[in-house]
Amino acid sequence: MSTLWDTTGSQVVKALTAERRAGGTVMSGLALTLVIVVDEKQVAEAEEAARIAASVHPCRLLLVVRRQVDAPVPRLDAEVLIGGRLGPGEAVVMRMYGRLALHAESVVLPLLAPDAPVVTWWHGPPPEVIAHDPLGVFAERRITDCAWLPDPAEGLATRAADYLPGDTDLSWTRTTGWRAALAAAFDSLSGQALGGRVEGNPNSPSAQLLTGWLHARLGAPIELVDTERPSGTHVAAVRIDLDTDREVVLRRLDAGAVSVTGGAGPDTVIQLPVRSLGELLGEELRRLDADQPYGEALGAATGVTGLAGRSGRRRHVWKDPAERANA
Amino acid sequence: MSAPRDKVITGGSPANPLRDVRDRRLPRVPEACALVVFGITGDLARKKLLPAFYDLANRGLLPTNFALLGFARRDWGDGDFIALAERSAKEHARTPWRPDVWERLAANMRFVPGSFDEDEAFDNLDQTLADMSDTHGIQGNAAFFLSIPPTMFPVVLRQMERTGMAENERCGGWRRVVVEKPFGNDLASAIELNTLVDDVFGWRDVYRIDHYLGKETVQNLLALRFANTLFEPIWNAHYVDSVQITMAEDGGIGSRAAFYDETGAARDVLQNHLLQLLALTAMEEPVQFIPSAIRTEKLKVLRAVSLPDDLDAYAIRGQYEQGWLAGERVVGYTQEKDVPEDSRTETYAAVKLGVQTRRWAGVPFYLRTGKRLPRRVTEIALSFRRAPHLPFAPTDTEELGHNQLVVRVQPDEGMTLKFGSKVPGSMMEVRDVSMDFLYGETFTEASPEAYERLLLDVLLGDAMLFPLNEEVEASWDVIDPLEEHWSGQAPYRYRAGEWGPGEAEQMLARDGRVWRRP
Repeated sequence: MSTLWDTTGSQVVKALTAERRAGGTVMSGLALTLVIVVDEKQVAEAEEAARIAASVHPCRLLLVVRRQVDAPVPRLDAEVLIGGRLGPGEAVVMRMYGRLALHAESVVLPLLAPDAPVVTWWHGPPPEVIAHDPLGVFAERRITDCAWLPDPAEGLATRAADYLPGDTDLSWTRTTGWRAALAAAFDSLSGQALGGRVEGNPNSPSAQLLTGWLHARLGAPIELVDTERPSGTHVAAVRIDLDTDREVVLRRLDAGAVSVTGGAGPDTVIQLPVRSLGELLGEELRRLDADQPYGEALGAATGVTGLAGRSGRRRHVWKDPAERANA
Repeated sequence: MSAPRDKVITGGSPANPLRDVRDRRLPRVPEACALVVFGITGDLARKKLLPAFYDLANRGLLPTNFALLGFARRDWGDGDFIALAERSAKEHARTPWRPDVWERLAANMRFVPGSFDEDEAFDNLDQTLADMSDTHGIQGNAAFFLSIPPTMFPVVLRQMERTGMAENERCGGWRRVVVEKPFGNDLASAIELNTLVDDVFGWRDVYRIDHYLGKETVQNLLALRFANTLFEPIWNAHYVDSVQITMAEDGGIGSRAAFYDETGAARDVLQNHLLQLLALTAMEEPVQFIPSAIRTEKLKVLRAVSLPDDLDAYAIRGQYEQGWLAGERVVGYTQEKDVPEDSRTETYAAVKLGVQTRRWAGVPFYLRTGKRLPRRVTEIALSFRRAPHLPFAPTDTEELGHNQLVVRVQPDEGMTLKFGSKVPGSMMEVRDVSMDFLYGETFTEASPEAYERLLLDVLLGDAMLFPLNEEVEASWDVIDPLEEHWSGQAPYRYRAGEWGPGEAEQMLARDGRVWRRP
């Protein structure tokens, strides 16, 4: 590990090369670079998640902490780690002060693994428009998390308005377990869905996306209603009415299990543990192509149409937070 | 000829509106079904199958409605079976132990006692499966895993035929059978066995497990060849000088003495694993990535395999004598427990094969396998021709060998490309360097055990990785003349811990080549 105080981007690149040589582990097969945008207060949490995800998908980790944008003098502190607390791979933790924070890409670009996909993850409230953050512009995959926002419904609408293929949101990842359980319950069932209900936290973006997904896939109206639920969870139950006079009900029993009734087989209980941030991030890194079902669910949840038809890449749009503060 | 299901398999039932091929976050989960394992108390079941089931359950890849039935000649209840399964899952599973996952799996486990010639036992099994359609919602779907010696196959299969439990229509779902090697011990017995199995179940529902095909690198061989533009143009006799396929084991024969002494290395490994690897290396491009197309191409190659004219020189077999391996003294083959002292069974086999197609004419394929070799390794190495003209002084390229592409099947799954490069300095000197791709470095998404993958494919009905009856027969067609040639000959000797007998070295030296040290 080497720590560089008040340094420059080129020094960081040199330090990384030196660390790789010294470590004797020249990684030849780097498959991706993960850029993590995080606030100082959440660094430990993000590092823990990144460590777990990187142990499943080896990658170069670049943690960018933007601090005191209004500091008078720009400054860069960096820490280069190989095989340290951030797992077996390579990691660089950078703290950027002053105006440098607005030009973080100038430090990050030369550190990206050559010609390998880049994933940017904002561990914090997502930018309103991803194009405003240069760290999101060069990434093939962008991972936001609307659960950070006070008003997630508005957050999802913002994401839908800003959507381009390659965007995903961790609140969508949190629905995978439910979606897999629902899909399994629908195996070997015949009949059309007439309608249904998701019972849970109406303010949770995951509950909203799950509702949107069911609506898009089943082509039937699905309501989201407020219900008591086990602590730490967002969805208490999902009920779907079929035209065969059958109601499929999945109900959360506790933070680990869900009961299934009304499916093709006998009633049963399945395991559906709440997953850690690291596991969620690991699932995200498994696929580096666009997630169309997310686009569909997002469109259905927010009522924004035409998400599937969008294409292209973002170009950076300059936005100075200082200007807004002065205005 | 068409395969069981030529379509993208997303898992679950095809009409399910919640399944979407683009939605790759959802796991491929089989339809509701039961799996019946015959010989549940055997080694394979305890060390591989039961742990693989636990791992599948732990990864959420088993359907909600799933039942596991064990069948064996024991006076057992469900509880004994569950206890055995719990022990073996705890001991051999790859994924961490989670009591809640286990409890759910254990709740759906049944034991059916009986011996294979007892009609009553099979009637009981049939009835249990029928009942489970209601109680466990398995919808008549069941796969039968025959983890029993091949001599028992006829009895068991006839029982299944008698009770009708192999018939899809009668049962209202699918019925599949999984068989393990050995698929016979020569062409005649293989045909007999294939006819029997295919007759009872129908060839589409027969899954022959060759666990090598469940390995990631083997599947990656197809991706390497057919997803890239880089390799296919040089994948032929114009550029390839020779191919070496090696499967070496450092272990001895363990507790399989009785079986092994009758079988030998050629039947045990060459006939199935090595010839399958050869087929995947040498096959033409399948028109589509679907089971039927891939099997068609593999079959074409296997039928084009030729033996050398001079079998004395190019088919070498060996038997290990006592020696030192990994710092320990090990006994010779004939001193192993339960092996006759005058045994002529080979523990090493090396053979030069040809592939009589336009692509491969003239390229020798050297295959070798052996026990008690210095390390456990399986690899496919393509050695390329030397450049037709070297503009350097002869002394500059003294250390330059053949360019090589090595596919490492195990361990350290990955690939190596070996080529010449200038040694830094004021002199022009070219030396071999290698470029490495290691699976574990790029994707550590823990590769599933081969059995996990293959069992899941059986339940999903994905026949891609299972050799077809005709492939097995074509392979015996290659092995039978070898066995005939070898019968009556004593194998050459090699010390345990050596890379095989000296005669195998001479076999390559005769062609001006050497074995790669894997």
